[in-house]
Amino acid sequence: MKKAIIKYVILFIATLQLAACEKEIKINIPASKEELVVEASINQLSPTLNYVILSKTMDYFNPSLSLLAVRNAKVFITEGNIVGNDTIYNIANQTQFFDLVDSLFPGIYVNPLFIGKVETPYKLDVELVDGRKITSKTFIPKPVVIDSMHYWFEPNNKDTNAYFYLQWQDGPEQNNYRVVLKRGFIPFLSGWGYGDRFYSFDDALINNQPRPFLMLNPFKYGDTVNIYLSQIGRPEYLFWDSFRNAANNGGPFATPVSVKSNVTGAIGSFTGYALTQEQIILR
Amino acid sequence: MVFFRIILFCFGFIVPSFANFALAQKASISGYVKDSLTGETLVGASIRTEDGLHGTVTNVYGFFSLSISNPKIPIICSYVGYNPKRILLKKEVNENIQFALSPKERESREVIITGERNDRNVKSTEMGRIELSGEKIKSLPVVFGEPDVLKAITLLPGIKSGGEASTGFYVRGGGPDQNLILMDEAVVYNPSHLFGFLSVFNSDAVKNIEIIKGGMPANYGGRLSSILNVNMREGNNQQFKYSGGIGLISSRLSAEGPIKKGKSSFLISGRRTYIDIFARPFLPDEIKGNSYYFYDVNLKLNFILSPKDRIYVSGYFGRDILDYKSRTNSAVNFNFGWGNSTATLRWNHIFNAKLFSNTSIIFNRYELFNDFKFGAGGFNVRSNLLDWNLKNDFTYYPNDKHQIKFGFNYTFHTFQPGILAGNIGSAKITETINKQYAHEYAAYALDEWKINNRWSVNYGLRLVAFQLVGPYTQKEYDNDTQLPNGKSFSYGRNETIAFYPRLEPRFNCNYLINENSSIKASYTQTYQFLHLATTSGAQFPVDLWVPSSKLVKPQMARQYAIGYFRNFRENAYETSAEAYYKPMRNQIEFKPGASLFFNQNLENEMVFGQGTSYGLELFLKKKTGKFTGWVGYTWSKSTRQFDELNEGKPFYFRYDRTHDMSVLISFQINKKWAGNVVFVYGTGNATTLPDSRYAYRYGIDPVTGEPDYIFIDKYSSVNSFRLPAYHRADLSFTYNQIQTKKFESSWNFSIYNVYNRANPYFIYFLPDIKSQTVKAYMVYLFPIVPSVQWNFKF
Repeated sequence: MKKAIIKYVILFIATLQLAACEKEIKINIPASKEELVVEASINQLSPTLNYVILSKTMDYFNPSLSLLAVRNAKVFITEGNIVGNDTIYNIANQTQFFDLVDSLFPGIYVNPLFIGKVETPYKLDVELVDGRKITSKTFIPKPVVIDSMHYWFEPNNKDTNAYFYLQWQDGPEQNNYRVVLKRGFIPFLSGWGYGDRFYSFDDALINNQPRPFLMLNPFKYGDTVNIYLSQIGRPEYLFWDSFRNAANNGGPFATPVSVKSNVTGAIGSFTGYALTQEQIILR
Repeated sequence: MVFFRIILFCFGFIVPSFANFALAQKASISGYVKDSLTGETLVGASIRTEDGLHGTVTNVYGFFSLSISNPKIPIICSYVGYNPKRILLKKEVNENIQFALSPKERESREVIITGERNDRNVKSTEMGRIELSGEKIKSLPVVFGEPDVLKAITLLPGIKSGGEASTGFYVRGGGPDQNLILMDEAVVYNPSHLFGFLSVFNSDAVKNIEIIKGGMPANYGGRLSSILNVNMREGNNQQFKYSGGIGLISSRLSAEGPIKKGKSSFLISGRRTYIDIFARPFLPDEIKGNSYYFYDVNLKLNFILSPKDRIYVSGYFGRDILDYKSRTNSAVNFNFGWGNSTATLRWNHIFNAKLFSNTSIIFNRYELFNDFKFGAGGFNVRSNLLDWNLKNDFTYYPNDKHQIKFGFNYTFHTFQPGILAGNIGSAKITETINKQYAHEYAAYALDEWKINNRWSVNYGLRLVAFQLVGPYTQKEYDNDTQLPNGKSFSYGRNETIAFYPRLEPRFNCNYLINENSSIKASYTQTYQFLHLATTSGAQFPVDLWVPSSKLVKPQMARQYAIGYFRNFRENAYETSAEAYYKPMRNQIEFKPGASLFFNQNLENEMVFGQGTSYGLELFLKKKTGKFTGWVGYTWSKSTRQFDELNEGKPFYFRYDRTHDMSVLISFQINKKWAGNVVFVYGTGNATTLPDSRYAYRYGIDPVTGEPDYIFIDKYSSVNSFRLPAYHRADLSFTYNQIQTKKFESSWNFSIYNVYNRANPYFIYFLPDIKSQTVKAYMVYLFPIVPSVQWNFKF
């Protein structure tokens, strides 16, 4: 809500300038302390969305515009069993992830044979060549079922933009969601970042009732839209919500935000997605 | 109960100490000083005996009381810009003397009408107090040519502006919520229009303003850093007058006149922007459906019921409305507005020549509303803050050695942080953040004591208390998940949730070295119970005022100040050097990235720490002659330390400004033309810049093999960067076109930022694919901006 207000305000203040007045300046930022970054994702449905990405932070003006990968690390994901109040991680249920495409995409660790299970906890263990360790835990909750989906166009305006509406039932327990939309013929995402639009929200405002999700004019007539609706855990949601703030930060109202990692020994997240996937052609 | 006992206790000391002096006073006079043409009372007018032995000034209502030893010596009443009056007393007790002073002719008048007694800066115990008249404010140039109170005060030393799109001001290293802004005694919670470009004060209706940044006497309190008192004019009680102006972005119109000639008057002023119409052709397509406007209305009524009783009614109502209709989506409509409404009823009562009182009842409401529709649904959000305030101030003039003030101030606050209602499709949404209620009490007594020819002191004690009460339900939250854990505490109606009684001693003293110079020192301790929840530096209409609570302790500050004051050439030049040291406790910041809007657990986002601020302010003012004006320079340092921020290490306050200078030169060219030159310089704001970045949210296009990700900025040390220095010069000219008794008109031409300096508004970074680097860009708001305004009066 506040983001919407801020967006309109920034637009308005920009108009008062009558033109965008800006110029390039030189700034000296001293070298920073390097930190490790983890982006780990697992789910029960789509194998191309199971991966662990290891990288490092770089100095702000480092000319590189690509990922600063961490190579040759040992990456393990272990499935856990819930026994009473405890979770047991048996080494027999451990899967190792490898940087199979190291030459093309360094830093990405995958295992095409890994399949996640719903309502199951998982543990991530990473050991770097230099001995540094990273650990994290996550939980794949239960996926939701989409009750209905429909779309419509502006009256008399088929040529432009569609409204798109999705609905599912939100249960009485605390739920957190992440929705990613992808336009295009290729039906699968390889990496969550390949999506077009990203939303993270919980059920604080709409709980235990049919949960609508409305999109305004993202798509045109004839588009194929892929919907990835996931349920995620609470610490994972807090990460993605803070990530959204960090990604949208800037301008005169910027504040030095930091993400709320659920990983020990690094910045970032290990998220278990309970994925529901749908495809629809807008015609 | 305890309050009254302590006040009586203080009186026990004060009253006997001057009982001896009472015998020496042979006569007394009291009454009002006013402008003979309009009937408006004059504030700070001087009344003294011709031998110079006794003297006083009128208070904010134009009232004075003076005890004298020899009733045969004539009395002179004077005010800068007016012809003085001289009278001989016929009896011993003279009550209700009405001095009607006539304004001097324009040519012989000084361009600057300061309204201050010539040597007041040397002789009074006041430190850190500056007064500006409404006329002075109207003559100072500002962007778009709109005269503005909050922009004018930033030309004074020790008072810093937050930047171009901000009416927040920072006094001696304190934050923007540490200034108490009063309009005819009503607190103004959000003093800005136009997202901070202009303030809510219509300078046509302003009589004078007073800002106290140090040495705050006991009759003021409630905020740590300053008090800004904006006093509105009463209205001409002799004849009807209409005035107004047409400017580039807004226009003003005022009407005033007598209700009963000489006895009562009214003043009504209104203002509206038309920037929505003006800007529309320039707007880019995506926001073409935008309309923004603000308007405000000031109303004043004033009744002289009898020689002993006067009633004043003041009201203010203002709104800012931002309306947006999407062009691509006709069902998307966004309507956002905010504004203050205040109403003050005041009763001046003169008990006798020595006892003056004012009783005020004030109603004050600040509200915010937002309606958002998008076809399949909509939301509306409401938020407001409501105050009912009763205060009583007495001034007792027992003799000319003491002036005693005492009184109380009670406010009942209601905080409604937010009500949200709406729907998406068939899903209904309602969310309410619980209302909070609080009582704020204050009682004070002070004595301004002229001990002898060299020493004067102003000492006082202010007792304050804050009581947060129910009905209220406090939910408990789990700190990790930020979800309610099911437990809650309920408080009944008027049941105390938190109670903070506090003591605020105040002390100012003045040692007169000779007729032209003095040394002053002061000590003050103040508490603040209301806090502004904001994460960005800019004060924003959705920013919330929150009360002190169980977790949130009242803010506290002490200020130690010492100064040397010297006048030259018979008070034609005033100079001063003031040094201050101000430690602050229980300062509040929000965790970086905290979500403040509609947060049920706002207190969880707060972190608490302390601040330190110190500096030296140098000031030189020239009051007479063809050229007048001032130069102010401040050297200062302001830091904060919070255990949870910046790894617990102290960091610069965002508005720390090592060097701050302002120069104002006003000149009268000839009968028709007058001008002003302003130059300001300030060290750039401290800001937090990212020191590293990382790639995240990775994806690969399976067709092209191209990776997709975004970069996230990582921040470490807080406020360790300085933006480039801010400096600019402005020029303005006033051409008095027609000056007759029946009609006056003038043109005001101004150029803002004469040498077109690009002063930074903010800095952002953008990766440049071609050169494979990340570049830094600085956005600046105002290049050179010329503007013109036409003003009239009849």
